[in-house]
Amino acid sequence: MAVAAAAARVWGSSRGLGRVGLLLRRPGARGLARSHPQRQQQHFSSLDDKPQFPGASAEFIDKLEFIQPNVISGIPIYRVMDRQGQIINPSEDPHLPQEKVLKFYKTMTLLNTMDRILYESQRQGRISFYMTNYGEEGTHVGSAAALDSTDLVFGQYREAGVLMYRNYPLELFMAQCYGNVSDLGKGRQMPVHYGCRERHFVTISSPLATQIPQAVGAAYAAKRANANRVIICYFGEGAASEGDAHAGFNFAATLECPIIFFCRNNGYAISTPTSEQYRGDGIAARGPGYGILSIRVDGNDVFAVYNATKEARRRAVAENQPFLIEAMTYRIGHHSTSDDSSAYRSVDEVNYWDKQDHPISRLRHYLQSCGWWDDEQEKAWRKQSRKKVMEAFEQAERKLKPSPSLLFSDVYQEMPTQLRKQQESLARHLQAYGEHYPLDHFEK
Amino acid sequence: MAATAVTVGRLLRLRAAGAEGHWRRLRGAGLLRGFLQPASADGDAAQRRQVAHFTFQPDPEPLEYGQTQKMNLFQAVTSALDNSLAKDPTAVIFGEDVAFGGVFRCTVGLRDKYGKDRVFNTPLCEQGIVGFGIGIAVTGATAIAEIQFADYIFPAFDQIVNEAAKYRYRSGDLFNCGSLTIRSPWGCVGHGALYHSQSPEAFFAHCPGIKVVIPRSPFQAKGLLLSCIEDKNPCIFFEPKILYRAAVEQVPIEPYNIPLSQAEVIQEGSDVTLVAWGTQVHVVREVASMAHEKLGVSCEVIDLRTIIPWDVDTVCKSVIKTGRLLVSHEAPLTGGFASEISSTVQEECFLNLEAPISRVCGYDTPFPHIFEQFYIPDKWKCYDALRKMINY
Repeated sequence: MAVAAAAARVWGSSRGLGRVGLLLRRPGARGLARSHPQRQQQHFSSLDDKPQFPGASAEFIDKLEFIQPNVISGIPIYRVMDRQGQIINPSEDPHLPQEKVLKFYKTMTLLNTMDRILYESQRQGRISFYMTNYGEEGTHVGSAAALDSTDLVFGQYREAGVLMYRNYPLELFMAQCYGNVSDLGKGRQMPVHYGCRERHFVTISSPLATQIPQAVGAAYAAKRANANRVIICYFGEGAASEGDAHAGFNFAATLECPIIFFCRNNGYAISTPTSEQYRGDGIAARGPGYGILSIRVDGNDVFAVYNATKEARRRAVAENQPFLIEAMTYRIGHHSTSDDSSAYRSVDEVNYWDKQDHPISRLRHYLQSCGWWDDEQEKAWRKQSRKKVMEAFEQAERKLKPSPSLLFSDVYQEMPTQLRKQQESLARHLQAYGEHYPLDHFEK
Repeated sequence: MAATAVTVGRLLRLRAAGAEGHWRRLRGAGLLRGFLQPASADGDAAQRRQVAHFTFQPDPEPLEYGQTQKMNLFQAVTSALDNSLAKDPTAVIFGEDVAFGGVFRCTVGLRDKYGKDRVFNTPLCEQGIVGFGIGIAVTGATAIAEIQFADYIFPAFDQIVNEAAKYRYRSGDLFNCGSLTIRSPWGCVGHGALYHSQSPEAFFAHCPGIKVVIPRSPFQAKGLLLSCIEDKNPCIFFEPKILYRAAVEQVPIEPYNIPLSQAEVIQEGSDVTLVAWGTQVHVVREVASMAHEKLGVSCEVIDLRTIIPWDVDTVCKSVIKTGRLLVSHEAPLTGGFASEISSTVQEECFLNLEAPISRVCGYDTPFPHIFEQFYIPDKWKCYDALRKMINY
């Protein structure tokens, strides 16, 4: 049936011709000549029997064969270090200076410490919600380090390490999670929806993958402005199923945009494993379908992430074309504080990644083998980083929330008349019924 | 989608050429000679494709903006876009088929004039078009996106409502996409049916953070579109497609602005307030004449122009004066924007009302093809509703 269908497609409507006849005929001019020697052949001006279709640049084939998607032996995973932090191929070692590699390590561990404390604070009812980054710190830091500080970042929600690498202070992370007066976002969004204009990190939004076509637009504008800037767009393998991802990839390729698509493939979208998210060879294999240069890397190898991002950045800006990096990693933590992943995966599986293949451990082994780190420094740093986080945390908790009048601003650049009336209405309401509202926790 | 759009365009051109021209072309082909009779020779009204349900009323030539030129609505749009790209080097125009001039010819000549990096086609993907436009605007550049028909704006609904509208608010004003404008052909066209006739303004009216603007004429279109493009908030500009060719008037060549969120009282009156937008303004204008002639009733006609944020004050001030309100739109009755106007006016002007507020709208059905003449809120339905209000 498939053969008949294929033949029908070649010959057009099969009405009136009979299926059997179709099966016997072969496509192509030579086939016609054999069956109907008396029929005149229509020749194109070219003597070659080449396809003329505008839609594809390819040769003819007279063998019926479906292309087999290769998922058993997929796109290989680029890495620089083994799981013990040893460089495999010295020519791939980026030979970064000690100070920089220490910054990688301290950023990843500080993030880890902040995650532990803020996750716990949600459990205690101090903040409403939190998402940890356990296991994916390498994807954040390796990629952030390979960018210029002015490259614009569009994230999904699990990229706090990128902001941290750009020196976003603990005070501001906490302020956003607490929604206090110091929050640059004015308390409007749930925790972990960070944004920072100064550090070129576009504010996170909850809907998944919406940032992907936006990042492409930003890249197009950067190209037009000759800004020598790359745009990087992070998303998970789950978000890559959204229509917006398809839209973004296609636009980036057709409009020749200097953008890095960075997919964190961490194995799960909440409870949905990758086997239920896609059937092809992950996200990297989709790139070539759009005409995009693609690579798969070991996301737990901070140097592999660094090298791939660095090269992608260089070429994206120089050649005005998109790059797709699929960073394989593992989400060690729950999806969020609203999730208990023991419901859908084993503790053993999680422990494997925590103990045997963790970006922080691998980098620590590397540092130690270079003589740039030791147990004493580790102990001191753990104490110091925990102290820093706790201080910021206690301060954030003490601060007031922003004034309720900020509920109404920034809907538009200017406040419309009707909205001002609503703002005044709330003010009057609070005058009469204020005792029923937690006004003490808010600025006037 | 594109094939149908070209057909619609062709049909609009045929309509403009007139019935005779159409049949002349067929006779010339020799295929149908003697087989088909021209409709006009027949004289049976039922066989003829319908004439328009409105008469476009041009406004008097504007004198305060310099030299004017006769333009139809799509030419006025082109003029606005031309002015924008000339003034603002960051401005770009993109969407399906805009490069060759657009299926409604709104972007003719712009690619040649401003370059292929500024006027370009995108792949066929509305969510991509709007998302891409948001991203351009986030960097501060001016993004003018075209959605080929308002009927196809829905794949972009998430990007518009969840992203564009909320960008400034959710970021605490760290980021915004105010320099995004989305333009889209809108409203009934005589034969558009379900997917080439929709007026989706009500879906977007429920979304704080965006502006929705609908012009009634070429002069209004250019001034309002320029204001949308320059406005620091994301705007949706719906262009009544039936007016693209049918509406012709003198339009200034230089740029000028018509303010947003300001309704216009285009005719003063004392007995009834009629509110409409887009094509329907011309319908209710005619109803006002009919009411004056047949009933001796004086109507105040208001073109709302901006759907959100809408000009409550102008409408209420009028209803306080007249005591009666009729709102009319092509979009279906239930949940249509007339509901919002009606609800607000009865809150603000309850004691001034002499009669219940009347809404004359499309029926609660998808937009039909062969039944269009029966579906639309034409002048007879509006007139009848007005008469009932007067006699209440």
